[in-house]
Amino acid sequence: MSGTVREAGAPVPVGGELIRLEGLQVHFPIRGGFGDLIRRRPGGVVRAVDGINLTIRRGEVLSLVGESGSGKTTTGRVIVKLTRPTGGRLLLEGADVTDVWGGDRLRAYRRRVQLIFQDPYETLNPKQTIHDFVAEPLEVQGLGGSPAERERRVLDAIDTAGLRPASDFAFRYPHELSGGQRQRVVIAGALVLDPKIVVADEPVSMLDVSIRTEILNLMLDLRRGRDLTYLFITHDLSVAWVIADRIAVMYLGRIMEMGAADEVINDPRHPYTRALVSVMPTPEPPQPGHRARRVILAGETPDAAHVPTGCRFHPRCPLAEQAGIMERCRTEEPPLIELGGGRASACWLAESGKPLPAVERRIGATGLGATAG
Amino acid sequence: MTALEGRAVARGRRQWPLPKQADPDAPLLVVEGLTTHFRLGRQTVHAVDDVSFTLNDGEALGIAGESGCGKTTTALSLLRLLPSNAEVVAGSVRLFGIDLLTKSDNALRRYRWREISIIFQGAMNALNPVRRVGDQIAEPMMERQGLAKGAAARRAGELLELVGVPRARGRAYPHELSGGMRQRAMIAMALACDPAVIIGDEPTTALDVMVQAQILELLEDLRSTLGLSLILITHDLSVLAETCDRVMIMYAGRVAEEGPVGRVYRAPRHPYTQMLLAAFPDVHSGRRDLGTIPGMPPDLRTPPPGCRFHPRCPAAMEVCRTEVPPEVTFGDRVRVACHLYPPGSDGTPRSLPPVRGAGAEVGQ
Repeated sequence: MSGTVREAGAPVPVGGELIRLEGLQVHFPIRGGFGDLIRRRPGGVVRAVDGINLTIRRGEVLSLVGESGSGKTTTGRVIVKLTRPTGGRLLLEGADVTDVWGGDRLRAYRRRVQLIFQDPYETLNPKQTIHDFVAEPLEVQGLGGSPAERERRVLDAIDTAGLRPASDFAFRYPHELSGGQRQRVVIAGALVLDPKIVVADEPVSMLDVSIRTEILNLMLDLRRGRDLTYLFITHDLSVAWVIADRIAVMYLGRIMEMGAADEVINDPRHPYTRALVSVMPTPEPPQPGHRARRVILAGETPDAAHVPTGCRFHPRCPLAEQAGIMERCRTEEPPLIELGGGRASACWLAESGKPLPAVERRIGATGLGATAG
Repeated sequence: MTALEGRAVARGRRQWPLPKQADPDAPLLVVEGLTTHFRLGRQTVHAVDDVSFTLNDGEALGIAGESGCGKTTTALSLLRLLPSNAEVVAGSVRLFGIDLLTKSDNALRRYRWREISIIFQGAMNALNPVRRVGDQIAEPMMERQGLAKGAAARRAGELLELVGVPRARGRAYPHELSGGMRQRAMIAMALACDPAVIIGDEPTTALDVMVQAQILELLEDLRSTLGLSLILITHDLSVLAETCDRVMIMYAGRVAEEGPVGRVYRAPRHPYTQMLLAAFPDVHSGRRDLGTIPGMPPDLRTPPPGCRFHPRCPAAMEVCRTEVPPEVTFGDRVRVACHLYPPGSDGTPRSLPPVRGAGAEVGQ
């Protein structure tokens, strides 16, 4: 079977810094109800993104992986300027754009930073033709010159997104298209402005597997052909591993681990990443002993209004107790520690640079205790 | 465990006798030639076409395929829980040898939830938002088993603990529970009447990876402790590998391939199974070359003649365009419907010619 996502070809040269996040913080105030008001209960704060540093380099595919509530989508929304950060800085090519919130500078920013949403069914307006959807950004930006030139750019974007012949697709409506084709339309809409970076938030989660590969292929082809950079946000570690050069794993508003995709998957240096990798389903029938290797974390991600003290992962960490450094994990939050080779981990155990110790006991995750076979 | 022992375990567990007409020697569930149509204006959608399978006591069968392949319609057809424009037009569904499809709606009601229960995908939508979770779990026991209120409430508490939800959480309303907790409550509800068959319709699809792992492990544990007979429906083949004994791959309303999980996954025969498996990355074995399946599933109002997969099949032959492939069962208990494996052939898996133009081209 051909059509692999990573075909042999010249590696894409990765250049200098394109986007940088410095100590990015997004805290949402909790609006209490009337009851809280009269009881003078103080409002809390949801720490959706809680101090992350991240550099996206030109030409790379960086994947932000996390479960719901990890802050990955909020981070993406800050980068496309749909959400205001409450702290930290956002830089594009070294220029601070944190406070750009209107006028020509915002418009210029949006031209270079585009977004692809998860759900192609909701992104498209059912009453709008494909042509009009793709042309809209040009109109908003006042770009494209003459009507003929604008027309050419629209058809070109539709064609590049793989909807061929473009002139045939241009005047169709979304309901005439399949899910995969709709996502291609969304991609065409993002491409028409010729952006530098595309933030793709779960772009293939709604698609069937057979279509998923096509869309991933398309995105990688475009990276080569159009000199694109991607921030690829997903909950699915296996998709991240397939498409990304680097992976950053988020948990409860912080980056837990970062590094080259292969290394993060094959040699995780944070217990959270290791647990995530261990439970990734595999299309292979299980080998004997596979179950024993799975590390299923008990409980669920705490809510971001009540972030645990110290390392925010410690209450669920299978290593915190056995490693005998529980006290430090409970009191002192580990920074994202550089491990060399572009790798980093926010775990005190990774500080030494050695692989993590093995998990000694199986975590009873189901509440059935000893019944597991 | 042989099939016979399995049956003894599962039926021995029953707290009440089998239905009167039950044949104690019949297999648990036998579906034959199931065909379900939807009416869409004047057109007919051939959603499920001639689907047959057997579920033995204590067994877990996975039904997998992409959206629109008929996997959910197949499951809902078993109990005629279909929307009003759908109809089972042919086939039989035999539970303990009793044909459910010939039953009147009233008679069939006795089997819903008590003999066959369903864990739905979105627990938030399946649970009643204005009733406490514990009450909702107790309700089928009062209604179908005639338990008194107190006894049903006690049993609901036990069930919640069994699925890993603290008993006290039974007083919560669905919105007060997390997604994982709601799905556990949904499972408790499916277990309430100790049914003969439990159907999980994408039970982990909307959940986070770690919560999905928790729920799958819960189902595995419940299987081994309670000897559940399970039908698990999913679009994600990789979910079935660890949970199921057998897997049935469906395409466009028909069975493409069915057999023991190990056989089907390690040596897939049907071109669709081969291509579908190749579309999943596998971090554990290091395979990240993903295959594509060019084209789209057919419009089931006008399904293609012959094999429904032939327009997308790289190995399609002339006969595939005209004749529906017969289902052939081979020595390793794998059943395949593909002209590459005609009756009398040895069933050696055939490799596919490379797919041309699998990239950024669109089928139409």
